[in-house]
Amino acid sequence: MEEQLKIDFEKLLETSNFSKKNIEIKRKNFENFIEKGFPNRREENWKFSDLHQIISKNIKNISFYNDLSKPNKIDRSIFIDGLEHNKLVFVNGRIENIEFDYEEKNKIEILDDLVLEKSNNANNSLLFLNNAFVSKFFKLIVKKNYSLKKPLVIYNITNKDLVSKSINLKVDILLEENSSLKVIEFSNDKSTTNFININYKFDLQKNAILKNYKIDNNSNSNVKYSFSNINQDSNSVTEIFLLSSGSEFTKNEISCNLNGKYSSAFVNGVFILDKTKHHEIKTNINHIVENTKSYQLIKGVLEDTSKAVYQGKIFVDSKAQKTDGYQLSKAILLNDNTEFNAKPELEIYADDVKCSHGSASGSLNEDSIFYLMSRGLNYQEAKKLLINGFLLDVIEKITDLEIKNLIKNIMSLKQ
Amino acid sequence: MLKIKNLKADIENKSILNNFNLEIKSGEVHAIMGPNGSGKSTLSNILSGKKGYDVSGEILFENKNIFELETEERAHKGIFLAFQYPLEIPGVNTNIFLKTSLNAIRKARGEKELDAIEFLKLVKVKAKELKFDEEKLNRQLNVGFSGGEKKKNEILQMSILNPKLSILDETDSGLDIDALKIVADGVNSLRKKDNSFLIITHYQRLLDYIKPDYVHVLMNGKIIKSGGPELALELEEKGYENFN
Repeated sequence: MEEQLKIDFEKLLETSNFSKKNIEIKRKNFENFIEKGFPNRREENWKFSDLHQIISKNIKNISFYNDLSKPNKIDRSIFIDGLEHNKLVFVNGRIENIEFDYEEKNKIEILDDLVLEKSNNANNSLLFLNNAFVSKFFKLIVKKNYSLKKPLVIYNITNKDLVSKSINLKVDILLEENSSLKVIEFSNDKSTTNFININYKFDLQKNAILKNYKIDNNSNSNVKYSFSNINQDSNSVTEIFLLSSGSEFTKNEISCNLNGKYSSAFVNGVFILDKTKHHEIKTNINHIVENTKSYQLIKGVLEDTSKAVYQGKIFVDSKAQKTDGYQLSKAILLNDNTEFNAKPELEIYADDVKCSHGSASGSLNEDSIFYLMSRGLNYQEAKKLLINGFLLDVIEKITDLEIKNLIKNIMSLKQ
Repeated sequence: MLKIKNLKADIENKSILNNFNLEIKSGEVHAIMGPNGSGKSTLSNILSGKKGYDVSGEILFENKNIFELETEERAHKGIFLAFQYPLEIPGVNTNIFLKTSLNAIRKARGEKELDAIEFLKLVKVKAKELKFDEEKLNRQLNVGFSGGEKKKNEILQMSILNPKLSILDETDSGLDIDALKIVADGVNSLRKKDNSFLIITHYQRLLDYIKPDYVHVLMNGKIIKSGGPELALELEEKGYENFN
């Protein structure tokens, strides 16, 4: 694989128009990746999901060079219906469309000719890979006091031409003081066995509000890693909801730094997995200053031989008195061959804090099924009602009513 | 309507019901009284098709053996069990559950399914009759309901589904006098010449409000005595231990 990486990397540099500065940074990142390689289970963060093994098992002859010279057709039928929204459309890793029709033009700014930052996360080789191979990266700036009128949907579409490629995307979003943004990341994959590596960075200045919904619902054979690095200044709020369901493998890693007083982060998510799917949610919530709050609720419904992993870390700095941290995970195992691994990690250095965690998993309650069946529902209907009921309280955490209904529709939870 | 012949039921090789016989005709109300562990709940579970029992014998409902029918098919045919301990179903709205249930049964019977407006109209009337707080119908099914509310909810379901045979499994336990009276009124209002009831209870109290046509005493898995309503009074006086 190393040989392939080198060939593909040189080919990328040859065919692209990177600045000298960026080439230098890319080379450094490339070397770092070559040194570390794909993460494996010997790393604590990856102990339940050996990505090295997953990639070698699922992707034959992976190639890292992706020809982005020709535009891809956009299949507009997959766009979200019934929700007015702004668009950032990626097809096979290439940006095809940027549309902010609903917004005041001077209140937002989109930059795409940027100098890469030196990765500050020396342990994450996938960020090295991303920096080395990403072709263009985007930065969206939402200006002070501006709230986007409509949500932004970042479409991440792959079509059937794409096979066994490594795709790298990078998007930065800066929310200036008192601004707010709703971002839906919407995946639609018709491609086969690719590795999709996405790197998000969100910076929230004072009083900014970010609502971030990630929807991956269509079954596909891709392997995905999505890293979100969130930095929050005082009074800012982040709300994240993950629908982790479609891809063969997905790891959503969320690293959130509550750097400003009274900032808060809510991370909620559901796993709905079947067949051999294996998904993970990994969070690092860092309470850096006092009076910050975090809340995490993760639920899973696992069928066949699927596997879900939740590693939730709450770190409380010695300065972060009055921290309020909470996490709970629950899973329904519909089959003896499914697996749910929950690893709560609480690292607390302050003494005046409120932190709690819990986790539970089990099968569907047969008595509840009998109760529902005695009222005329068949086994499948009773099971579906119970599962939907189980997941509903996570969905109810979504504070945007329109998007909540959209997600209920997508999950066929609409009553 | 219902004929049970030589019913035998075991669970994990332990005999619960043995040589159990009972016949209920259309329009009749039967009460089965028995001490703890006499097999009362097993009987209601088996009639509703709960899995996990080894059964033999015959249960004919409208002359058809129901052993081959799944729980929901029995519900479609008109068998209703009011649970001793109604289950809490988180995340499932009571109204939506009721509508799903009613329409599943109507569909199976080849009747037109009710739309939301028709359903709400029906449920409003029924809830009022049973003095059931309508606001609770918008809550999750039985979650946070008091014992009495759960039991009333069972009777509300019964009244909406309008079954042919209603089995009330200790519906009176945990009810105060007022709730007991409301529940009894609900049952009495459903008494018609083609509806039958099987009331399972420990105490004679409920039978003050719902007058049964027949009373049976169940002990050690079989009926040891049958009679009219007076049997319940006799039982109350003597207690189960001295009764024989």
